[in-house]
Amino acid sequence: MRRTKVLLVDDEVEFASALAERLHYRNYNATAVFNANDAVQVARKEFPDVMVVDLKLPGGSGLEIVEAIRQFDPEVAVILLSGHGSITSKELLESGSITDYAVKPIDIEELVEKIDRAKQIHDAQVIKEGKDHV
Amino acid sequence: MPEATDKHDAAELGEERLLDRFLHPLRTIAAIRRDHYRSSKYRLFFMVGTLAGIPLLGVVMIGLFWLHGILEEDFNNQLKWQLDITESSIEFFLQERISGLRYLVSVYSFNQLSNQGSLSGIFQKRQKEFSELVDLGVIDSRGIQLAYAGPYDLKGKDYSQQEWFHETKVRGIYVSDVFTGYRKIPHFSIAIRQDIPGSANFWIIRATINMDTLNRFVSRVKLKENDDAFIINEEGVLQTPSRFHGRFLEKLDLKVPLPQQSAGHISYDDSRVGQITLGYTRIKNSPWILTAMIKPTAYWRIVDILRKDILAVYLIGILVLIGIMMNYRMVNNWVDRIKQLDQEREQAISETEHSAKLALIGRLAAGIAHEINNPLAIINEKAGLMQDVLNYSKESNPCKEKFLPLISVIADSVNRCRTITHRLLGFARRMDIHIESIDINELLKEVVGFLEREIMYRNIKLEFNFNEHLRPIESDRGLLQQVFLNIANNAIDAVDDGGTIEIATVSSETYALAVHIRDNGRGISKEVMKHIFEPFYTTKEKGKGTGLGLSLSYGIIQRLGGTIEVDSVRDKGTTFTIKLPYKAELKGGAL
Repeated sequence: MRRTKVLLVDDEVEFASALAERLHYRNYNATAVFNANDAVQVARKEFPDVMVVDLKLPGGSGLEIVEAIRQFDPEVAVILLSGHGSITSKELLESGSITDYAVKPIDIEELVEKIDRAKQIHDAQVIKEGKDHV
Repeated sequence: MPEATDKHDAAELGEERLLDRFLHPLRTIAAIRRDHYRSSKYRLFFMVGTLAGIPLLGVVMIGLFWLHGILEEDFNNQLKWQLDITESSIEFFLQERISGLRYLVSVYSFNQLSNQGSLSGIFQKRQKEFSELVDLGVIDSRGIQLAYAGPYDLKGKDYSQQEWFHETKVRGIYVSDVFTGYRKIPHFSIAIRQDIPGSANFWIIRATINMDTLNRFVSRVKLKENDDAFIINEEGVLQTPSRFHGRFLEKLDLKVPLPQQSAGHISYDDSRVGQITLGYTRIKNSPWILTAMIKPTAYWRIVDILRKDILAVYLIGILVLIGIMMNYRMVNNWVDRIKQLDQEREQAISETEHSAKLALIGRLAAGIAHEINNPLAIINEKAGLMQDVLNYSKESNPCKEKFLPLISVIADSVNRCRTITHRLLGFARRMDIHIESIDINELLKEVVGFLEREIMYRNIKLEFNFNEHLRPIESDRGLLQQVFLNIANNAIDAVDDGGTIEIATVSSETYALAVHIRDNGRGISKEVMKHIFEPFYTTKEKGKGTGLGLSLSYGIIQRLGGTIEVDSVRDKGTTFTIKLPYKAELKGGAL
């Protein structure tokens, strides 16, 4: 079975790289990027199943990145990650703009669950749209 | 909703009562009797009114009696004065007539006077001077009229059997009662005894005098339309005409006997004319009593007028008193209202200050939590990675057994930190709110479910007093759970083993419901009470409490549109009361 492609976008390099490595151990194809440009470029190349995006990033908020990526990959599942829980996250979730959200620091097993759930939603969406970017 | 029903009933009753008060005064009085506070109010009002009124009434009554006395005395004095003047005039008139006769006796000899022709001459001469002189006669000691000058032929008439003759013989001077005589003209006679020197014999000169002059004198007594003045004799026979009390020479229809003094007055109630004052004075040297019967209307009128005025003054006084009392009450109400408004304002300011303080601390806490969460996440991931390396590596690492527990400690510490930062974020009200329909009794049972183990372990008695008729409310389940869990947890901490915690729900007047969480624990000191809802304020042992629980609860309940209050008695226990609206009204700004 194809490994789930996860794109981690966070300006905290140490956090993102460590998390990516931990996801590798758990059999996920995780890529960590640390700014908006890299995020868009990698996404255009890789077409990730799930994006784990920090809300606040230098050179644009996580949501702006998501918007940019959705221009060419509308089905990508997005988990919004932030240093604090917010009403914004909940509203975004309810409006369908994001697939899920989590608050730092997050337990890895909890994140894995969220990624798996997001992947299922993503796959369902892809089947519905009748497309496969891979 | 028993309270709501009561309120509705009260409103309806209020309208009915107003109408009832006018239609059924007796029922209103009965109702007032039933209403203890209202009846006390009315009783107090009347008591104060009466207490203030009695001295005023006393002064009024004393004044009235005093005035009555003065007016009566003044009236009697005036009456006496008038009678005295008239009596003096009549007395002077009589004395003058007597002197006139004495003059005749001294100027003319008995022979001249007893001579018919001579007497007629003297009479005519005197009549010119005194028109009221009717006739003149000389009577000898046997009672035979020796000479007579006047309109009748009375010469030779024998008066020896007549009373006046004997009276004159004994007294020397006699003034008769009034009589009409042959011509039916009222007149009276004066007779003087004249002794003949050197013998025991005497003769009498007698003059008859017309009543006109006397009538004139009597009419000089100042009279009002209802008053009457006249002369009576000792038997009460009218000597001059009376306006109201009988005809001339009739007996006066007087109901009271005259006292025996020479002058005085009697006041009595006459069945026909009412209150009457009767003044009288005996006229010297005559059988007459000058009498005036006066209705004291004039002075009674003054008293009446004053009585009415005084009554008016009294009533005005009472009204002023009532006005002052009402004014006092109104002022009291205003002052109370102002006081209440001031207190509300102070409370609002205090609450605003408290909210602002919480908001500031909330923002600070959120900022700190966010800043800490990022490095905490790095620690978490790095430690997690180390754990993963050791766990997933195929090669055996001699340090694995030593490192894994150390990494686990790091992970636990991170979790502890995370709990704190998440609470901080919660305090900053960044947590999400989800409004749903909630049965508060169910929710409280759920919350207590979390604590069941500790309650059982510590043998704490838990009492539920739920109002089963409460309507569901719309609020955030998670937040409410957090609040009740927090307060219930505090209650458990406050009671000793075997203590009691009561959880009660009741309907509330201003809110949908109120939840009371009571414990019989240690209670809270006043000093602690001042800071109880402040963040980071804790009395618990180090590491057992963050000092955020009640502060968070305060913020949450306020955000949900409710109130939270605490009431505590040292060593008796503490009651937390949370009131919640039917629908949570989310309030903006920091919680």
